[in-house]
Amino acid sequence: MVKENSLQYFLTKANEIEKRHFSKQVKIGILSSFTINGLPETIRVKCSDNDIECKYYIGGYDQYSQEIISKNSELYKFSPDLVFLLLDVRSIFGDIFHDPYSLSSDDRKSILSKKLEETENLVDTFSKNSNSKFIISNLVIPTFSSFGINETKLDFGFQEMILKFNSNLISAFRNKNNVFVYDFNSFSSKYGQKNIFDFKNFLFGDIQISFDYIPYLANELISYVNALLGLTKKCIVLDLDDTLWGGIVGEEGFENIKLGPEPPGNAFLEFQKTLNALKQRGIILAINSKNNLDDALQVIKEHPYMVLRESDFSCMKINWNDKVENMKEISQELNIGLDSMVFFDDDKVNCEYMTLSLPQVKVVNLSGDPSYFAEILQDMNDFDSLKITDEDLNRTQMYSEQLKRDELKNSNISMDDFLKNLNMDITIKQSNNFTIPRISQLTLKTNQFNLTTKRYQEEEIRKLTDDKNFLVGCAQVQDKFGDNGITGVFIVDKHNSEEWFLDSFLLSCRIMGREIEKAILNYIIDQAKKNNVKKIVAKYVPTQKNKPVESFLPKCGFSQSGDKWVYDVNNSLKLPDFLSVTVENE
Amino acid sequence: MNEKLIQIISKVMNVPSTEINDESGPLNIENWTSFNSYVLLYGLENGFNVKFTMEEAMDVKNVADIKRHLKNHGIQFD
Repeated sequence: MVKENSLQYFLTKANEIEKRHFSKQVKIGILSSFTINGLPETIRVKCSDNDIECKYYIGGYDQYSQEIISKNSELYKFSPDLVFLLLDVRSIFGDIFHDPYSLSSDDRKSILSKKLEETENLVDTFSKNSNSKFIISNLVIPTFSSFGINETKLDFGFQEMILKFNSNLISAFRNKNNVFVYDFNSFSSKYGQKNIFDFKNFLFGDIQISFDYIPYLANELISYVNALLGLTKKCIVLDLDDTLWGGIVGEEGFENIKLGPEPPGNAFLEFQKTLNALKQRGIILAINSKNNLDDALQVIKEHPYMVLRESDFSCMKINWNDKVENMKEISQELNIGLDSMVFFDDDKVNCEYMTLSLPQVKVVNLSGDPSYFAEILQDMNDFDSLKITDEDLNRTQMYSEQLKRDELKNSNISMDDFLKNLNMDITIKQSNNFTIPRISQLTLKTNQFNLTTKRYQEEEIRKLTDDKNFLVGCAQVQDKFGDNGITGVFIVDKHNSEEWFLDSFLLSCRIMGREIEKAILNYIIDQAKKNNVKKIVAKYVPTQKNKPVESFLPKCGFSQSGDKWVYDVNNSLKLPDFLSVTVENE
Repeated sequence: MNEKLIQIISKVMNVPSTEINDESGPLNIENWTSFNSYVLLYGLENGFNVKFTMEEAMDVKNVADIKRHLKNHGIQFD
């Protein structure tokens, strides 16, 4: 377990946070049925360390229902981005907590339904009053039963009742995009109820989480903040020797490396299996290793216990080059920003060198006991997003296809011929229930080819889609290697009937450099012509990362006018002949 | 021991150690809120490796009370 600082450390540091410029801001509300002082301060410090300015509002002690029901409450005035509601079983079930068996099992069932209904109504009320994301905790399953070992023989015993409450909570909110169920019970089991809950603290001040564990709880809740702000790591870059397997293959040989079902090789097997699980949910894997290519490839391809094979890695840099240079190349080849990468290495010097040279990269040092490698990976809260899309689940395949495309690129042909050879098909799609989640995700995650870098939550895209004054759409790109999925987004503001404004225009990094932007822009120009619009106006909003989009407007024939760029619709944009474009539903 | 005690209080209540004396407590230190008094007791328990009973904890009205209870747990002050 990664050791946390004490609560006192965070409370002291919270007083020392200076006023400065932060690259991101977040406003969180914390509501609770018990004392949670110390938690918001800790979250604020941890956010600040991550260059996020966190403002918070703490609801009155056990006042959460009133705060949610009253439309004029301080909670709503604060207009939070995220609201956490932490509940405890005592305050939800009152006296029943202590004497559940004074009631019949039927009565317990009907009380459960009533409590669930109340909770759902409360959350629905919140969603009507606010656009904020709402994170409601489930309940910690009580460990004490007056029936002792026979608790599990009872018809609808109290523990079963709370389990049922938790599972119904999940089904109630599974399909609500604004509402998330935080698994507080799992937090409690992870760190142990006996450690977290201290009767003296509870009886003295209704403190239900021991001070030592508040920083750990803060970490779990910050996962939601990072996901909301799109600060998600997308790619894990791995060393090989003593990281994916034990020993040095170049020294000890193929047969002698430690990897397999027996200790100590099973530690590496466990680590690889955890990596594989992350890969399956859309995290990209890559290799950055100083090694003889042949030795390393032999293990990756032929070792009987290797879990991760060649096709699982979207990029492999196995050579004797500088690891920092390798890292930059991986970033370029995968079109993933360095700040979206995590680097794992057992060598402290390599880790230090990487941290100093590329501070954007998150570096994880695996110099300790390999038994804990899997746990270190499982404890990271850097990979969360608020929505899982089909693209997440197919990402590795898409990047492996990208590898094949890049191989084509490296052969000796002209760029035009290369692009011709790709047989690209672009489908322009309208924003609708199927495409909205991905459109929102792209606005939240895309940094490089992004003209204005405006971030939109799903609900906001939905609103824009329904608004007649906006044109929202996206582009799906297929080529001979496969389907890249939805990888382009545009939002046009049509308030002015003479001049349309390009509110957002972006391409996912994996399809940059293929002139697809022209196909999308051409579609917008066509639409403008059909509506007798004279001009398309755009603005390039520079950020630290969107250099790749800088020349897009002039290249497509926009001319500069003050801080804006204007396109005369009477001009026509020459579309490269290697692009074939279809418009869906037209 | 006295110095260690003052240091813990100064840190929790965010006041300079020179401003802390036996009479210091919720009445004259603004940050001495009920939550900070829990944090303080927790800090003292960890710092001096003792466990206060609830009655002792509730009885604390100022620094002199803290010293009295710490003495009961075998901590010596000169």
